[in-house]
Amino acid sequence: MERFERAAVLLSLIERLRDGHSWCGETHVQKSTYFLQDLWSVPLKLDFILYKHGPFSFDLSDEISWMRANDVLKLQPQQRPYGPKLVPAENAEVLKKAYPEPIQKYAKEVRASADKFADMGVTALERYATAHYVSRNHAEVGDGDLAAKIVELKPHISYVQAQEAVEFVSRLRSVLSES
Amino acid sequence: MARKRTHEIRDPIHVFIRLDSDERKVLDSLPFQRLRHIHQLALTYLVYPGATHKRFEHSLGVMELASRIYDVVTEPENIYQESESVRNMIPKHRAFEHLKWRRTLRLAALCHDLGHLPFSHASEALLPQCWDHERMTMEIILSEQMAGIWEDIGVQPKDVAKLAIGPKKSKSYMGVELDSWESILSEIITGDVFGADRMDYLLRDSYHAGVAYGKFDHYRLIDTMRILPKQEMDGSQEPVLGVEEGGLESAEALLLARYFMFSQIYFHPVRLIYDEHLSDFLKSWFDGGMFPTDWEEHLKHTDNEVISEMLSIAKNQSHPAHLHADRIVHRRHFKSIYRPTAEDRKLSVLKPGRKIYEAASREFGEKNVKHVQANQENDENNFPVLVQGRRIAEAASEKETFSRVPPASCDHVFVSSEIRNRAGDWLRKNREKILSSAEGG
Repeated sequence: MERFERAAVLLSLIERLRDGHSWCGETHVQKSTYFLQDLWSVPLKLDFILYKHGPFSFDLSDEISWMRANDVLKLQPQQRPYGPKLVPAENAEVLKKAYPEPIQKYAKEVRASADKFADMGVTALERYATAHYVSRNHAEVGDGDLAAKIVELKPHISYVQAQEAVEFVSRLRSVLSES
Repeated sequence: MARKRTHEIRDPIHVFIRLDSDERKVLDSLPFQRLRHIHQLALTYLVYPGATHKRFEHSLGVMELASRIYDVVTEPENIYQESESVRNMIPKHRAFEHLKWRRTLRLAALCHDLGHLPFSHASEALLPQCWDHERMTMEIILSEQMAGIWEDIGVQPKDVAKLAIGPKKSKSYMGVELDSWESILSEIITGDVFGADRMDYLLRDSYHAGVAYGKFDHYRLIDTMRILPKQEMDGSQEPVLGVEEGGLESAEALLLARYFMFSQIYFHPVRLIYDEHLSDFLKSWFDGGMFPTDWEEHLKHTDNEVISEMLSIAKNQSHPAHLHADRIVHRRHFKSIYRPTAEDRKLSVLKPGRKIYEAASREFGEKNVKHVQANQENDENNFPVLVQGRRIAEAASEKETFSRVPPASCDHVFVSSEIRNRAGDWLRKNREKILSSAEGG
């Protein structure tokens, strides 16, 4: 997927998240995009590593900078104590009109990912994305204690929270594999 | 008389930079001394004559600032006691772990640029795919050349390497993920918001270029830095670097300094086109148009060899790289004929420079036209702020500047100086048609 097509898909995800009343800060977009690529297999070609609040993509961060530099997105300040939202900017419509194909092609996946995560806060997104990442990238844990591994990697997440997150993503993967 | 254990180096930005005898062994090593001959800002000195500073002094500056930050954020009275994750993460003050990580951090900061090619970023395109200066940095830190020093001073080279190249490249090149504490340490060096690398290059580049844009109150900023949980919306406890509210204005000044330095210095059109000519020269000059990735070969190349060869080739008209050398040495660089307006971006579906470039290449030949488009990356501007000693807020909700300042960007079409007037006339006649066409006219 080339840059403009990817930007069009990311823009459609952000719009859908907003429709679902997501706060749509950068962390919300990072985690929803991670699921869109890794769980719904949309080939965005973004590298994610375990970093801030779980899986994080420096590539995506650069893409968002590019979209801001081109007035496709902007950061909208909010009243204290809330952080800024990412919202479509002046050139969002220009991009959508020029690249309708990738938007249509991945509309189903974007809808499913956004609808699943739009109403979640940062803490829940962080836990679920970390649980999915650890299950995919730490094969050495095998069927062992994924929750313990999550706590080892992210000590600010409690064992009980980690267990719940492992169950959540496991259920989600089952539902997706059946559909 | 006892042997001196602490050494001082004079520095125009930080006045004195102090290092101990173990750190001096790294400073005296061949890979580090090589940085005396790598310009920090490539050929920018052809535009701003004072900008002749090197990676050597920048690396010392990053070490100095990184340890100042470390000392402030790990000072017991500066530790945010309300958060268990913050309290548990920071090693006991002055205990072995605390001192070990301080030393590792300083050495990682000192070594973070070892892998730079001649003329820094300008020649990075000459490395094969999946290689960059961070990977070369890792290769050098882990090389036989440095192994004896690390063993002698009792430091783990892998720890130095991962802090020096950061979380993304550590995962890609070393297959390791940084834990939360290592992520903080790496953020102290290379972080997008307050990294010591960023602070030093803004202050130093500004000073040497002779502009005031890059200045900000880094003393105040560092004094107010804290490790804080980034409690967005519903309270994630993950610790990151933030500031006390008294440092917000300094952080704001840092953000603006970066925006102005990109707009005025790093994206200056003549600097951009010299980078292009330099890259063309190196591609023609080097065997196979690529730099070696073997660390021993890498260490043999500095700006000095390149400049010496460039001056010689500029006199030799039969050399394949002559034209590129001539453009740099005799200042016959390409000239900018086009930079887009906001309206052009809409009209051309966000590809104004690309469209003009393609049409101009068809009209005047590809070798007479160049296109450079870039924007500021790693543009994270939000971080936690400690308000009244207890409450955590977001910087962007405390001050709108953190949301309002866009990433700086540039988009230029250049043509050879020989066709500049003709190309200018052609563009005036065809500009609108090209921008509104599907494929650039």
